[in-house]
Amino acid sequence: MGPLYPDFINPELNLLIGFLIGIGFGFLLEASGFTNTRKLAGIFYGYDATVIKVFFTAALTAMIGLFILHYLGWIDITATMPTTFWIPTLIGGAIMGLGFIIGGFCPGTSLSAAATGKIDAMAFIVGVMIGIFGFIFTFKDIWENLRNSGKLGKVDITEWIGIKEGLFIFLFTVIAVITFIGFQKWQDHWKKKLSQDDINDLGI
Amino acid sequence: MKRREILILLLLLIGAFITIFFPNIKSQENVIGEKELLSEVNKAGRYASTDEIANAIINNDPSYILIDVRDVKQFKSYTIDGAVNINLDNIMDDKYKDYLNTEAYTVVLFSNGSSKADQVWLRLRCTDHKGIRVMKGGLNEWYKTIINPQKPIDNEMTAEKEKQYLFRKQASYYFTGTQVSSGVTKKKSSSKPIVKRKKKEVSGGCG
Repeated sequence: MGPLYPDFINPELNLLIGFLIGIGFGFLLEASGFTNTRKLAGIFYGYDATVIKVFFTAALTAMIGLFILHYLGWIDITATMPTTFWIPTLIGGAIMGLGFIIGGFCPGTSLSAAATGKIDAMAFIVGVMIGIFGFIFTFKDIWENLRNSGKLGKVDITEWIGIKEGLFIFLFTVIAVITFIGFQKWQDHWKKKLSQDDINDLGI
Repeated sequence: MKRREILILLLLLIGAFITIFFPNIKSQENVIGEKELLSEVNKAGRYASTDEIANAIINNDPSYILIDVRDVKQFKSYTIDGAVNINLDNIMDDKYKDYLNTEAYTVVLFSNGSSKADQVWLRLRCTDHKGIRVMKGGLNEWYKTIINPQKPIDNEMTAEKEKQYLFRKQASYYFTGTQVSSGVTKKKSSSKPIVKRKKKEVSGGCG
């Protein structure tokens, strides 16, 4: 990365900072109800849009924050730009979505939920581990060709459209904010249809 | 909507609006500060001596990539063993990216003198290429010191100069292919293979 690491933050301190951020992240997930599978899956059933609102906010904060930090010379944003492989990304995204709706967790929230003693989250983690190790040990024989298929190189959407990066960030933020408000209205509309018993039952 | 949510959205919109006035990341990459450039221009380390290059070739050191920046005609008439020809005007072509965007190799530019190679060095440095060096004095110096080395005058001869002269003499035999009594009998070397280094791709994800 940029001058923050390793110039100011040495590898040992880096681990400690990672550990503290991890604890904070887990705490906030629990505090905002993200260890509740019903709240997480609510986006797919239409009664809770918290997930989409949180992900949008997180993506926007990261996008704007990284861009500003790069401009200030504190990090090197070019080091974080991955190569795009569209086929495995599409398939991986579909699998992740299916896992999300069936299991009710994503990998991060499952760890938080397991820490609160939820047995379904522990079972979810076992499944995640089977998936990870299964992928590792069969990678050469089964997955390697798929993993490397659909390579597009380093795709830069602003270059493709031909607009300034800052302008793209602003337009994207405006669209995201409109979507955020839209989902909020959608959630309010569906919540009106739920009885108090339903809401208590779902824990939302 | 809660007030807290409205406040977060407003902050995001303000942050995003500010980014409109920032320059593109790509254009920032190409900028090197005036002071930094000046300090690098004056750094002795950006030059490689002809002795260093001769030594690297004789010892088959694979970490050097020699780039002849003269035109094809001049390149074909004479060049240093293993050198690649990339003309001054084509230096920014995408097909030569692998030669120039490398941290694992020492890229050394040369021309007849130093000025053309220096021009290319400046152009590359201003487009964020790092670790590139220039062969001091170019091929003229190469001829003077390696191909046809002159014995220092007796009253100027020191142990160090004598050692250097002996090395140059042997190097001259190496490159011209002449048999010598000191036992350096190597034939003119064949072109050194240039290994293109693939950059490691960045991968990532979330979850």
